[in-house]
Amino acid sequence: MAMHTRRTPLERIEYIIIVSTLLLLVVFTLQPLLNLLALSLSAPENVAGFSGLSILPDGFSPDVWMLLLQHPNVQRGIFNSVWMTTTSVVIGVFFTALMAWGMSRPGLPGRRIIFILVLVTIVFEPGIIPDYFLMKRLGLLNTPWSVIMYKAISAWYLIILIRFFEEIPKELLEAAELDGANPFQTFFMVVLPLAKPALATIALFYFVLHWNEFFRAMIYLTDQSKWPLQVVLRQFVIEGDKVAIVGANNVNNNLGLAQINIRALKAGMILITIVPILAIYPLILKFFTKGTMSGAVKG
Amino acid sequence: MTEQDSARIDVSRYGNVPNVSEAGAALPPRQDRLNERFLNGVRQWWPYYAMMAPGLLFFVIWHYVPIWEAKMAFEQVRIIPPNIWVGWKNFQTLFSSPIFYQVLANTLIISGMKIIFVFPVPIMVALLLNEIRSGKLRGAIQSAVYLPHFLSWVVISGVFIALLSPTDGAVNQIGQAMGFTPVNYMTNTGTIRWVLVVSEIWRSAGWDSLLYLAAIFAIDPQLYDAAEMDGANRWQKIWYVTIPGIVPTIATLFILNMGMFLSADLNQVINMQNAVNASTIDIIDTYVYRLGLSTGEYALATAAGLFKAVIGMILVLVSHLVSKRLTGKGVW
Repeated sequence: MAMHTRRTPLERIEYIIIVSTLLLLVVFTLQPLLNLLALSLSAPENVAGFSGLSILPDGFSPDVWMLLLQHPNVQRGIFNSVWMTTTSVVIGVFFTALMAWGMSRPGLPGRRIIFILVLVTIVFEPGIIPDYFLMKRLGLLNTPWSVIMYKAISAWYLIILIRFFEEIPKELLEAAELDGANPFQTFFMVVLPLAKPALATIALFYFVLHWNEFFRAMIYLTDQSKWPLQVVLRQFVIEGDKVAIVGANNVNNNLGLAQINIRALKAGMILITIVPILAIYPLILKFFTKGTMSGAVKG
Repeated sequence: MTEQDSARIDVSRYGNVPNVSEAGAALPPRQDRLNERFLNGVRQWWPYYAMMAPGLLFFVIWHYVPIWEAKMAFEQVRIIPPNIWVGWKNFQTLFSSPIFYQVLANTLIISGMKIIFVFPVPIMVALLLNEIRSGKLRGAIQSAVYLPHFLSWVVISGVFIALLSPTDGAVNQIGQAMGFTPVNYMTNTGTIRWVLVVSEIWRSAGWDSLLYLAAIFAIDPQLYDAAEMDGANRWQKIWYVTIPGIVPTIATLFILNMGMFLSADLNQVINMQNAVNASTIDIIDTYVYRLGLSTGEYALATAAGLFKAVIGMILVLVSHLVSKRLTGKGVW
């Protein structure tokens, strides 16, 4: 350590260059998001000339956020996203854990075959058209279940949980069985409580996965009232369907509000979609980072 | 269940101790023994199969039934079932269509650009991050640059559409200040592929550096001390210690990236695509989507999807094996 404290001027300059390069990367990452935030919070009359470089609101008005949060399409989108994501996470965590528990038992007959069957699904995906016809055949098209169920269990997260369960000390399980617990009791009363950190990790993984899902929702859900937030966002921001949010009247009559705020509205809409991610970002960072690091070391 | 029962099950499950009756003096006939072993197996393991049943059912329905459905690629789809088996005809139609080669070329070009321009960025970010001495500063930088990884492509596309807007986007405002005329990057066939590359960097550069950083942290600190003794400066330490230390990780990830060569990210392209730029960034996935779900050419679309799936599978398996052979690390 002592050697680090003696630095030549050249080394200091090098260090400054390194830090500046990284800070530039931080600016490149955050500026676009902060700019949208500032735009969405600026006073309506200042939006027209609002610079794409600024990260401070010009004046202040919560109008855009109020308008969006009161908008029926956005409200429905939030509602659909929240319940679909919650359901997906609960189903995902519960059934992934159950299956992983079975697959983690060393002596289970057929364990290897099942493992290979799971791996095959990672490598081979027959494509969206067969998936679409399967949904149709199951009568799930245009129901939220088509979106919830299609990746209810992720093979990757299943493997992570299997590895975790395999490391539970045998003695604990044997002790439970000596106390007369059957496999179900062992699972619910010993394994699940022990696995809380792993389950929390998996739950977050599933949360991000399902919250960000839009493609399946876009192709399976024809009924707009069933759309999750991502699809509502897509319709308004990517496809530029102003009518969806601003309303036909406002668009046709070039009403002042609609004209001035369309940029700010889009900005607000994008940000509303990422609020839940930002809200739990510290948790996400902690668990995802740990997961990735341990995966990297183990190979 | 009595205490004795549970104790017996316990022993047989974890110890794989032969059953008491089997160990007895006179062995029953072979068939009976097999039956008994089977019954014991069922008795012992059924709770686990019961617990796995929903998951297994899920994998069969949502991953194996579609493989069966994909036989559509070899059929002529009729409104009134059954479909007619036509063999390779759909594939022949596909391979004789110029559009297919166009989307194949686009896919390869976009993937190639991403390998060349996106792949090295996280390595450089990791090398720079490793030079930051203050843990707090490094942590702050990391939590900022990791963020985009967790945003959906719908959101990222929205951000880039705003960022690249010809009238008030940051990029064009900087460009104008430097005397360039504004460019509409999103509707320009010459720039749209670069938008894909840059937005991919924006999304993944920070997060992907994590793997390399983990590899750097695993390097023996004594190597750095030894290098310092020999009078190595910062760059020499990076060049002679850090980079050789992470070469296996770089190799693994490079090979695995090659395995994903045909997956030029549907979610990204479908959100960045518009009527003007479609021709340059139409990839196999968007082609399948449009052909199947918009035009109703189900069989042809399935054939294209299956083509991608099979080539993709081969690429992933080969890259996995190569990576395992070279570095001992694979996909799973």
